[in-house]
Amino acid sequence: MSMEIILVQTIVNGLMVGMIYVLMAIGFTMVFGIMRIVNFAHGEFYMAGAFLFAILYGSNNLPFFISVLLAVGATALLGLLMERIVFRKFRGNELNGMIASVGVALILQNSALLLWGSSARTVPPVISGVLSVGGIVFPWSRLVVIIGAIVAVVSLNLLIGHTRIGRAMRAVAQDAEIAQVQGIRVDVIFPVAFVLGVSLAAFAGVLMAPVLSVSPFIGLAPTLKAFVIVVIGGLGSVPGAVAGGLLIGLIESFAGTFVSASLSEILQFLVVIAVVLLRPQGLLGRKEREA
Amino acid sequence: MISVATKPMPYVGIAAAVGVAALLPWFAPNQFYVHLATIGCINLMLVLGLAIIARAGQLSMGHGGFALVGGYVSALLSMKGWPPLLTLFIAGLVAAVIAAGLGWIILRLRGVYFVLVAFAFSQIAVLLALDMSSVTGGANGLVGVPPISIFGYVLRAKPQFYPFALVCALTTLLLTWLLYRSPLGTMMAATAENQRLTESSGIDTHRVQVIAFTIGSGIAGFAGALSTHYLRFISPDSYTFWESVSYLTMLVVGGRDGVLGPVVGVLVLTPLPELLRSTEGLQHIIYGAVLVLCLMFVPNGLASLVQTWRSRQRVARTSAALVAEEVP
Repeated sequence: MSMEIILVQTIVNGLMVGMIYVLMAIGFTMVFGIMRIVNFAHGEFYMAGAFLFAILYGSNNLPFFISVLLAVGATALLGLLMERIVFRKFRGNELNGMIASVGVALILQNSALLLWGSSARTVPPVISGVLSVGGIVFPWSRLVVIIGAIVAVVSLNLLIGHTRIGRAMRAVAQDAEIAQVQGIRVDVIFPVAFVLGVSLAAFAGVLMAPVLSVSPFIGLAPTLKAFVIVVIGGLGSVPGAVAGGLLIGLIESFAGTFVSASLSEILQFLVVIAVVLLRPQGLLGRKEREA
Repeated sequence: MISVATKPMPYVGIAAAVGVAALLPWFAPNQFYVHLATIGCINLMLVLGLAIIARAGQLSMGHGGFALVGGYVSALLSMKGWPPLLTLFIAGLVAAVIAAGLGWIILRLRGVYFVLVAFAFSQIAVLLALDMSSVTGGANGLVGVPPISIFGYVLRAKPQFYPFALVCALTTLLLTWLLYRSPLGTMMAATAENQRLTESSGIDTHRVQVIAFTIGSGIAGFAGALSTHYLRFISPDSYTFWESVSYLTMLVVGGRDGVLGPVVGVLVLTPLPELLRSTEGLQHIIYGAVLVLCLMFVPNGLASLVQTWRSRQRVARTSAALVAEEVP
């Protein structure tokens, strides 16, 4: 293989992983920006989405789009339930909310273990074949992940930027009290934002299920990545999450191809420390006013 | 006669508790209880370390990472022939130095960022342990870590190790109590209460938090090393994210204020996984549920219930005394 081909494939891999991280990080950062909760259980919704998709599409052979809709929808319902029972009580209480989310992560992960067992499952590829452009081949299975993630990010951006509920969400993120004074029903916005974030995580899980294998333990790694990304990009910043996610994805892919996977983890940690030292508000974050 | 005479009650209670703990090996039905008590002592030290960090208003999700570092440092040095009694302290020192460096950088940030970076640190520690297999033995870990020996007396079996672990835990408890009563302890509590106000009264809150993080993580390093010499084994799986979570759970369930909280948390939660062992698989779910329910209904921890009850009694007694005075 020539250097060029390796380079291009490394970039494609990096973009694929990066877009998954972007989906994870956007949901995570939205929940933080609006509810002020650091959600350690975020990755468990990714796991739930991937598992449900594996069961619906892989084991029961349902059509692809119906499987995606059902998997994301069911995970969204689970998210709504968790918001109702647990997260609602800890809104704005950063420390206790974070600890409670760890408890939720424990419950969700081990429920999956109890229900579906610990062995990893593989999901048949959604699409096979390759796209070849000028002698360089791109496997469709990876391009589908990238395209799916881009569609999700763009539609979320339209939702946040150009609809009534999106404007309300931005207002609540800036100042929940003032938003309420302006007649925004904050109690509706919180669950909407949480469910949206959870759905993005579930969708990321669905996209990754055919590429990686699925087990109850896959949630923690993307959660960690989401943390790293939002610290780099700025907590609460959606463009920051996109930039940070792609950056981390590319670092991982390049370091993994040319050096070693664990070096890439250490490199990411150093990037975090550097960002914290030089630009504490994150690459694209705004300085927070302290209350 | 409003003043309530200082009761000897707490001291009697403390002495009784220490006595029971010290005599445990003699009346425990079997060795397993001694083992559980030893693990409890180690947990108590870890939770106290976490409590000191929390006292200054921060939460460390990477506590296990420092225990892991301590465990490996002590195991490697003692396997090279250094006396374990010395390497325990070196382990604590190394963990403290790392915490000081890391804390100096990341404690300038708001709480949430600190938590995220400390969490990332513990993951890096696990990865390094896995990756540097020529030194750390990789995923297999280090087997045959030498036991601790004090003046030639080797602490190999459980009943011999337990008194040493108890002394370590009680010393940590005493030192933590003294720290809370010292001016530094007051500064820590003030920083947690209102960082800006504390800063404006001339206290360098960044320094206070770095010191608290350094002390707390140093204790974690020591405790990690202690556990390594007890189990004679360490691997990257010894202190994962879920261990960090379980210490945090003990702290939250017990209570974050004072030294009683960690004691209660450890006493309640160390035996819990054993009691739940028969439920197979459900145990982690119950653990998670206990954590969430405690945060919802007893946000200040079980120890706060004791305090509420005590102050209520005091009020009752004082008003009774007042009534008695008014009646001629």
